[in-house]
Amino acid sequence: MLVFTRKLDQAIVVGDGVEIRIMRIGRDSVRIGVTAAPEVPVHRLEIYEEIRVANALAVAAPGQAHELVSRLQTQRTALTPPHED
Amino acid sequence: MTDLMAPQRIVTFPQGLPGFEASRQFVLLASATLAPFTLLQGAGPEAPAFVAIDPLLVDPDYSSRLGSEDLARLQAAPEAPLLWLALVASAPDGSATVNLRAPIVINPASMRGIQLLCRDSQYGLTHPLGAG
Repeated sequence: MLVFTRKLDQAIVVGDGVEIRIMRIGRDSVRIGVTAAPEVPVHRLEIYEEIRVANALAVAAPGQAHELVSRLQTQRTALTPPHED
Repeated sequence: MTDLMAPQRIVTFPQGLPGFEASRQFVLLASATLAPFTLLQGAGPEAPAFVAIDPLLVDPDYSSRLGSEDLARLQAAPEAPLLWLALVASAPDGSATVNLRAPIVINPASMRGIQLLCRDSQYGLTHPLGAG
């Protein structure tokens, strides 16, 4: 891991011009500004982790997706199909 | 909405899905046989597959907003019709939950998709599938 010491309003640049700037320094938190192209996703790590775990629980076992749908359909028989085919 | 759900189409997720970043292309499978579910099947033999459902079928009042960055990633105009899907997780005991917090959003015009990572969503990661 690269470790930097930065002061208020100083920044670092990562990769193709992703700029990470110290906006405010508080007692137990810092406010950080990230400037990146719109196609570069920027997320708080804990939110990304939360979704990563949820996705890992949602992924179907290989080759089992259709079977899973059949099982879910029987659990949800009362549901009206949303789209007309 | 029928044209948004053509039987088999390939969607590109430029950032992949968290945890499955290597899979960028998914086949969208929707049919009367699968209804009300939709399959997101990754392209390739080892690719992941997900069962998904229209979040409005799980919560009729469901609504979520996209930011301008999200629309840019989807290459979508502000009022463009978009396809929303929530991933379904099935527990070993047979119960199923729906991730309403981080829905999949697909722009049928560009066939690009994202998984919406929202900091302040009021919706849960494990909403019961059966609950209306």
